[in-house]
Amino acid sequence: MEFAELIKTPRVDGVVLRRPFQPTVEGTLCLTGHHLILSSRQDNTEELWLLHANIDCIEKRFVGTLGTIIVKCKDLRVIQLDIPGMEECLNIASSIEALSTLDSVSLMYPFFYRPMFEVIEDGWNSFLPEDSFKDLESMTDEWRLSDVNQDYCVCASYPPLVAVPKDVDDDTLRKAAAFRHAGRFPVLSYYHKKNGMVMMRSGQPLTGTNGRRCKEDEKLINATLRAGKRGYIIDTRTIAVAQQAKARGGGFESEANYPQWRRIHKAIERSSVLQESLIKLVEACNDQSHNMDRWLSKLEASNWQTHVKEILTTACLAAQCIDREGASVLVHGTEGTDSTLQVTSLAQIILDPTCRTIRGFQALVEREWLQAGHPFQQRCVQSAYGNGSSVKVRCEAPVFLLFLDCVWQILRQFPCSFQFSEHFLVLLFEHAYASQFGTFLGNSAAERAKLKLSQKTVSLWSWVNRPQEAQRLSNPLYEANSLVIWPSVAPQSLLLWEGVFLRWNRSSRCLDEAYEEMVHIIEYNKELQNKVNSLRRQLAELETDDPLQHTE
Amino acid sequence: MEFSEHIKTANVEDVVLRRPFYQPTKGTLCVTGHHLIFSNRGGDSARPFLLLLRNIDAIEKRPSVSSGTITLKCKDLCVLQLDIPGMEECLNIASSIESLSSLETVSEMYPFFYRPPFLSLQDQWGLSSTEQHYAQMKEIHDGWRVSQVNRDYSVSPSYPPAVIVPHSIDDETLVKAARFRQGGRFPVLCYYHRETGTVIMRSSQPLSGANRKRCREDELLLQAVIDGSELGYIIDTRSSQQAQQARMTGGGFESKSCYRGWKRLHRQLEKGKVLQESLIKLVEACGDQSHSVDRWLSKLENSKWLSHVQTALSTAGLVAECVERDGHSVLVHGSEGTDTSLLVSSLAQLILDPDSRTLAGFLGLLEREWVQAGHPFQQRCAHSAYSHVRLRHEAPVFVLLLDCVWQLARQFPLAMGFSEPLLLRLAKEVYASDYGTFLCNSDQERCVTGVKERTHCLFQSLLRANERQHYSNPLYERTELAIWPSIQPPSLQLWKGLFLQWTDDALHLVEAQKVIQNLVSQCHRPLNEKVENTDG
Repeated sequence: MEFAELIKTPRVDGVVLRRPFQPTVEGTLCLTGHHLILSSRQDNTEELWLLHANIDCIEKRFVGTLGTIIVKCKDLRVIQLDIPGMEECLNIASSIEALSTLDSVSLMYPFFYRPMFEVIEDGWNSFLPEDSFKDLESMTDEWRLSDVNQDYCVCASYPPLVAVPKDVDDDTLRKAAAFRHAGRFPVLSYYHKKNGMVMMRSGQPLTGTNGRRCKEDEKLINATLRAGKRGYIIDTRTIAVAQQAKARGGGFESEANYPQWRRIHKAIERSSVLQESLIKLVEACNDQSHNMDRWLSKLEASNWQTHVKEILTTACLAAQCIDREGASVLVHGTEGTDSTLQVTSLAQIILDPTCRTIRGFQALVEREWLQAGHPFQQRCVQSAYGNGSSVKVRCEAPVFLLFLDCVWQILRQFPCSFQFSEHFLVLLFEHAYASQFGTFLGNSAAERAKLKLSQKTVSLWSWVNRPQEAQRLSNPLYEANSLVIWPSVAPQSLLLWEGVFLRWNRSSRCLDEAYEEMVHIIEYNKELQNKVNSLRRQLAELETDDPLQHTE
Repeated sequence: MEFSEHIKTANVEDVVLRRPFYQPTKGTLCVTGHHLIFSNRGGDSARPFLLLLRNIDAIEKRPSVSSGTITLKCKDLCVLQLDIPGMEECLNIASSIESLSSLETVSEMYPFFYRPPFLSLQDQWGLSSTEQHYAQMKEIHDGWRVSQVNRDYSVSPSYPPAVIVPHSIDDETLVKAARFRQGGRFPVLCYYHRETGTVIMRSSQPLSGANRKRCREDELLLQAVIDGSELGYIIDTRSSQQAQQARMTGGGFESKSCYRGWKRLHRQLEKGKVLQESLIKLVEACGDQSHSVDRWLSKLENSKWLSHVQTALSTAGLVAECVERDGHSVLVHGSEGTDTSLLVSSLAQLILDPDSRTLAGFLGLLEREWVQAGHPFQQRCAHSAYSHVRLRHEAPVFVLLLDCVWQLARQFPLAMGFSEPLLLRLAKEVYASDYGTFLCNSDQERCVTGVKERTHCLFQSLLRANERQHYSNPLYERTELAIWPSIQPPSLQLWKGLFLQWTDDALHLVEAQKVIQNLVSQCHRPLNEKVENTDG
């Protein structure tokens, strides 16, 4: 196998592993095609089992013949390996570098991973567009499922099936697609059952400097409006950025051509800005200097919380238009694959209680991120430690992580309204960046089909939906809440997501214990409740069995 | 009664009350000697809204021709608004509130009139006395004794009548040592650490002055503390520069040459005006819901409140480390020994002592280290963050303590027997209360004004069965270990429960807390009983 070529030294003895808040471990380091493994000679000491794909970057240092490799992971953990022997250390380092930056997707671990658990439900089939359309059909007959994109020709980043207004035929869609960035014509993202209003998403219209127009595009989005009603277009860019886009062939919907629509501009930053923000934030979190002022300044300078706030605010706006104003909404930015999806998916979490369940949230991620063509592979190729050493065009950005952070903020504000706990969000963050499952591989439905992921890899959902795992990820405080939940976006209400950003810099033992204790209490409560019920039943049976009791 | 002189208009109809979390309601406003009472007859709740006038920190009025608006900013940080029809009524109400909320005679305050059915004035006032506390600690009886030298408060006006001192030091020596300490606050025992046999003492600064005076008796007293062992630490809560400067005004510090065996460490804790201003800035930042994250974080940083939390916790950690890890006794003092010294000594005890982390133990600690030890509550808590009155002696030292305790509880969710609602309740009571516990500035003043005979004790009340349940931590599991807090800046958080309690996002959190509380109370008591009943 070709991995072997990359591994010059597969095994080194006497390696010392150092991790924060854990005792150092001495053991044997082994490199395999996909893992870095450290096993200690003593029993009962924990081993390190690290996916190469999880390694963001490494640094090496030498003191005499003792080499040290600092491994910085995409899940933000930093570990240190002390390796005796300079040559061994250099070999190991270069192997890790090569193995953690494999170019070919088909060499990635998910293609080699065989599940050790029984797959009860194949996650690849859990959330098919046909199924979610059936739900829609039960509510309205104004929409149809179009297969205009079945060979991915109309839009390379769209799935084969999309929901569009019933009155609009495929020809119109094709023409509208030609007028939208990368062919991303407006499609249905969410149907609000309460008042029949909808949220759509698309790429920017290609008006260019000449102010081109496209009758079919106008017809398509107007078809979603009720007679006499106006809709809102939420552009995730500022008006200045949208204006500039014209020079490169992009643009926005003009009032003249779209008189039934009101355009609102918001300011969600582009990917490269978000990536820089993440790097600064993680740097601040890892800085162990003891000064409160410096910490708050750095946190502020990272701008991360500002991004969280902007995204949440825009999502609230979209939800407000739909629920309170009773208007339909079209959301887009430039490509329609990043900030657009953050807004549409968060708005659904605010509006739709189903999205706050474990399965509903998976369906949301599947629908609004994976099927909708968020380029996961490009965005997650590097995390906060990637210093841009790669010569490739940089397109990594923590778009999905920001989305998860926003969900966490809502979850924190409404601790009883979500069926899942913070653990689920952290798990999704980890697997988006490095995973044994194929779910987050590729950049679009087309790429995933080409890679035959559903045949060759296991879906993350197959793992998550096993009863014991679902149990682990569930929120013990959950009480189904069918209402719309409006999060506070005041800066004071937004917190740093400790579970991700301070996860490795603090000992979470006490917090974990408390959480377990709470879960334990709740389970005990259920147990007692059951016991009471069964005793009541027994009592009732005894009373009816024994007529003497009544006469007494 | 003389209150009536202050009340020109006792009743106004058709007043609109606006307060956080409630829809504006129309009703009748009534001013009494101690309360504002607002009742809406047609309303859904039968209970009128009651506001202790003492709780009002600042009042702003905007009269117009036919009506007026009064904004009340409370010491518990809540902001209310009253729309009052009639300019004259508005002005009358405002002036009544102004004078009644700033009454300074202790015996006119509400605790002297508060007579709830569930408490009796015959009950013991306070949880424990120095003697009782001493009696419980058998292990210190060999080396330490209770001294009544201050029984008539003549040695130190701010100390309680009885204090614990080394056995070998007689009262005469204490009297002389007291003369050498500011306010007569000679070193006394506050905590004995069983495992190492070392102690935490506290005092005020020595009055060495510019001439470097010394006092044999004071030296003897401290020598007796570390008798035999080689080293003790003096933690001075001022910077060494501040301590030097204090000599010019008659204060000073323990010099190396006179106090052999004692090593002095300086840790600068802010107090007084600096702390009060920090609170004011923080509250202002929290109240500003304007929509920029940058401005919020800058303002939070500028307030320096979290830096004060960090310094307090790290100094307390240092004291605890000296005692537990190095096995050395510690003396804590700043200048007066009534503010930062108490902050540090009580936090160090919480870190070290599992007994002080139970509900009763914590209240006992507060009683010993704050109420009896002579923290001047009345001066420090006369005004809170909103007042326009020129500051005199106000400082939120006790609130800072509660914040530090909250940080500890957040980092060790199982270790504390009490929960956040208790800390919030205390933060409110310390500024305005039905109870007499936080009245006056010292034990002596409380005796003179009859607080102990004519008011009820908050701590006693908090330990009644139903209150106890409300304030207990459902997750509590006693640990005998010391709990070492992380003082890394990211580990310390803004205490939202207190500083943002009136903003929207507090609502959902309160709901969640209720769910947890319900689950737990269902779980532990009634369900157990049900099972037993049905089983039997």
